[in-house]
Amino acid sequence: MIRTELKRGTAELAVLSVLEDGPLHGYEIGRRIEEQSGGALRYSLAALYPLLYRMERRGWLRGEWQIGANGKRRRCYRLLSRGQKMLKPMRAEWADLFRALRRVAKVTHA
Amino acid sequence: MRDWQRYVRENLGSLRVNSAEFEEVAQELAAHLEETYERLRLSGLPEGQADLQTRAQAGNWKELNTQLNSARQEGTMNGRVKRIWIPSLLTLLTCWTILALLIWAGAQPLIWNRAEPRSAILYLPWLLLLPLIGAMGGYLSRREDGAGYQVYVAGTFPALAIAAILAVTFPFAFFVDPRIAPDFKLDSLLAMVLSWVILPGIALCAGVAFVNRYKPALPVKAGTT
Repeated sequence: MIRTELKRGTAELAVLSVLEDGPLHGYEIGRRIEEQSGGALRYSLAALYPLLYRMERRGWLRGEWQIGANGKRRRCYRLLSRGQKMLKPMRAEWADLFRALRRVAKVTHA
Repeated sequence: MRDWQRYVRENLGSLRVNSAEFEEVAQELAAHLEETYERLRLSGLPEGQADLQTRAQAGNWKELNTQLNSARQEGTMNGRVKRIWIPSLLTLLTCWTILALLIWAGAQPLIWNRAEPRSAILYLPWLLLLPLIGAMGGYLSRREDGAGYQVYVAGTFPALAIAAILAVTFPFAFFVDPRIAPDFKLDSLLAMVLSWVILPGIALCAGVAFVNRYKPALPVKAGTT
């Protein structure tokens, strides 16, 4: 399991990446990240929702209330163009970080 | 099953947001916990275990409160400036500059009743140009990902500004200092509202509505709820 301090920095990239495939509500964002990371990245409410609101304030996402197929109201988040633009440099930044870690700490990734 | 709405409200404490925003946050978090609980139950966990695990996933409520407060305040000014104030001021400036140019070029207004000095005055060419100006304001706000109401405020700001000025000056002139408008009449207020608020407002709204027609649809993927 990855420690909270390490996970914190990954959340922005993880959220933007799962929203790249289409709009999702908060619970589903958390679930997709957990699934796609093989359970390694799991965010609590305290980590996920403040981040979603922060990203919404920055104009990266937009949350809109919708009625789901089960009749329940859910706030769906959609990736906005500004968020989309953030993905490329963010991915490059993480790739740089992994390369640097590989050189310094002999860290390898699967 | 636990009442998750109540559970969230009890634990959220005091967020530095208005009651409507508090409601939204509480509903969203409660929906998340409810869904977590239902999935755990579907996976075969007994009620007690599912309840315990759901509450554990909520994490630290004190931290959540602090983080929510900080997140809700971040960039408030910045976003509003880009989505409302800059487009609104540009719309206002364009609107009045065009009117000034038309008057300078000799455009004559249509006057509802020439015998009445404070009758409704309509600058027809200006009114015809207003949908374009409204569309520009709406577009500038939408380009910055402005929400629906922000796009409308930006596009119709000239009419809103006049409405605000009238709302302040007329009661003041009527009740506080009648010397400002000694021959004040209700029909002169109505004429001004019609000339400078309602008709321009409708024209500007038409432009914003046109821009909004091209709002991208929000598709919801199957299985997202």
